[in-house]
Amino acid sequence: MLESESVKSESGAPESDTLSDWLRRTASATPEAPAIIEAGLGEKDRITSFRQLFEQAASLAEWFVEHGVQRQDRIALVLPKTTEAIVSVFGSLLAGAIYVPIHPQWPKERIEATLADCAARLVIESDNGSSPRIIDRDTRGSVPWPVAPSALTEISKLGSLAPADPCDSALILFTSGSTGRPKGVLLSHRAVSAFAKWSAREFHISAADRIACPSPLSFDLSTFDIFNMALCGATCVLIPGHCVWMPRFLVQFLRDAGITCWYSVPSILAGMLEEGQLAKYDYPSLRLVLFAGEVFQGHNVSRLRAAVPEAICANLYGPTETNVVTWCRVPRGYDGSQPLPIGQPCSYAAVTVDSATGELLAGGDSLMTGYWNRPEDTQRAFVTLDGKRYYRTGDRVSRAPDGNYLFLGRLDRQVKRRGFRIELGEIETALASCEDILEAAAVAVEDEKAGIAIVAFVRRRSADAITLVEAKAHCARTLPLYMVPDQIVFLDAMPKGSRGKIDYLDLSRKARTLDHAAGHGDQERSPAVHR
Amino acid sequence: MQQAMEIKSAVRQFIAENVLLGVHQTTIDDATPLVTGGLIDSVGMFGLVAFLEERFKVEFVPREISVHSLDTLEQIDHLIRKKLAAQKPEAPDGGQQMR
Repeated sequence: MLESESVKSESGAPESDTLSDWLRRTASATPEAPAIIEAGLGEKDRITSFRQLFEQAASLAEWFVEHGVQRQDRIALVLPKTTEAIVSVFGSLLAGAIYVPIHPQWPKERIEATLADCAARLVIESDNGSSPRIIDRDTRGSVPWPVAPSALTEISKLGSLAPADPCDSALILFTSGSTGRPKGVLLSHRAVSAFAKWSAREFHISAADRIACPSPLSFDLSTFDIFNMALCGATCVLIPGHCVWMPRFLVQFLRDAGITCWYSVPSILAGMLEEGQLAKYDYPSLRLVLFAGEVFQGHNVSRLRAAVPEAICANLYGPTETNVVTWCRVPRGYDGSQPLPIGQPCSYAAVTVDSATGELLAGGDSLMTGYWNRPEDTQRAFVTLDGKRYYRTGDRVSRAPDGNYLFLGRLDRQVKRRGFRIELGEIETALASCEDILEAAAVAVEDEKAGIAIVAFVRRRSADAITLVEAKAHCARTLPLYMVPDQIVFLDAMPKGSRGKIDYLDLSRKARTLDHAAGHGDQERSPAVHR
Repeated sequence: MQQAMEIKSAVRQFIAENVLLGVHQTTIDDATPLVTGGLIDSVGMFGLVAFLEERFKVEFVPREISVHSLDTLEQIDHLIRKKLAAQKPEAPDGGQQMR
């Protein structure tokens, strides 16, 4: 019913159905309802109504068009998840542009490379939560945020803006690339819409909901809260960025802000269960807890189930390239002794398994258009079966008798850390780009506290060529901090197999013998280290 | 009451030993931006705050956990000293907001 409401006008005729149309429609229907609340946690909340959000986004869109932004130009948002960032998302979409969210804490070099890769026309950035500014990448000119709190553009206006097509691209999400350069996943309005509409229907999202998703905009989880807000008139409640650092504040936020729907990576929930003592309190408003992005250990899922007994808990699965494609509701009596399945396909998804390798292949409406500017990678990523396009997820699965898919592991060297996707090859490329490093190999090992620890083995030009600190600092200049190895171990020679390939099994064994419990342990103690 | 030097050196030591980057402590001066400079990410910050609470027996409230109050050793030192001073007569609200 939600779906039919959102795609039909009052006359019953189908309307254009893009993400920006949703906001336009909701702003007309419930202009004074709260669209965004920036939770103050003890301080005053900042509330933006649908009318204000739409007016500000429309006024920004007009500014974009006046400044020469063309349909499908890229507008990079190097912003934390704030009201202005969401205004920028919808401003870009209303102008027919593609928004490219980039985490502001990425190293400068990586941000610059990404801006160049997507050929961003404009960049919106801010310093430490100050009002954003817009940089024109052609002229290098910078202008202050051009949007007044109550902008003058009316909802009925905007005839000047070209209507977007559902097949147009809406956003590019940059994710770790195995060859050392982040890959841009290009997603259309239709792809994002498939997931948003399905989740709205499946989880009965309505205007009464207050949705919280602590993931940054550069993470695909963030399509859930901002687009369900636009589609259903729900309120998107933003968590102060710093609270993501503190599980006990997240728990406080969950209660004080009256959150009804929560969506995060399991690592954040694990922190809330442990340090945040989630089970200690009641959450009368909370009715839905969704998690995705990495494996949630069974015992923690069952703790979550017990901590929020009234809420529906569900595991959503899917790589950035497909968004969510399968899902599984956590059964009432789930005790955590068996891994939680990734579940069954969402209604818009087509899922099958490559019988030779056990790889999950995912197709359907939520599929990416392709990788930005990488035709060969795009071609490799897809396989066509019976005329349908499927994405090779690289995830090995099996199917239980009840039809649920179970995640078994990766077919390649991709790992997940705190929900972030990491190609170990990218870490190796970053290390090897240092002239003092001849060879580098990275492995991931399980770590009780951190989930996984990344250990990089490095062969140097000479024993005094580079110190451990310099090697780490070198990584941090090009990699996001979650990709910087926990430990770097210097070796005189890399273990190689008979064909001269690096013996990763041997390195993994070595890595497991290291003391990485602290995540950052004392290298000098380890017998495997030569300094 | 902890001396200023002790606060800074304890934090230096903590960062050198525990934060992902493992930067040697001498490379961090009082004004080195830790968060905005990319040395500490969100999880590292959580660890730092937990350490400060434990080590100096203080409790933070949400508004104190911000890039603006915890980005440098100088700022951390200032904040901890302020919190310790506030505790001396009688912890006002104890910072515990979760009851």
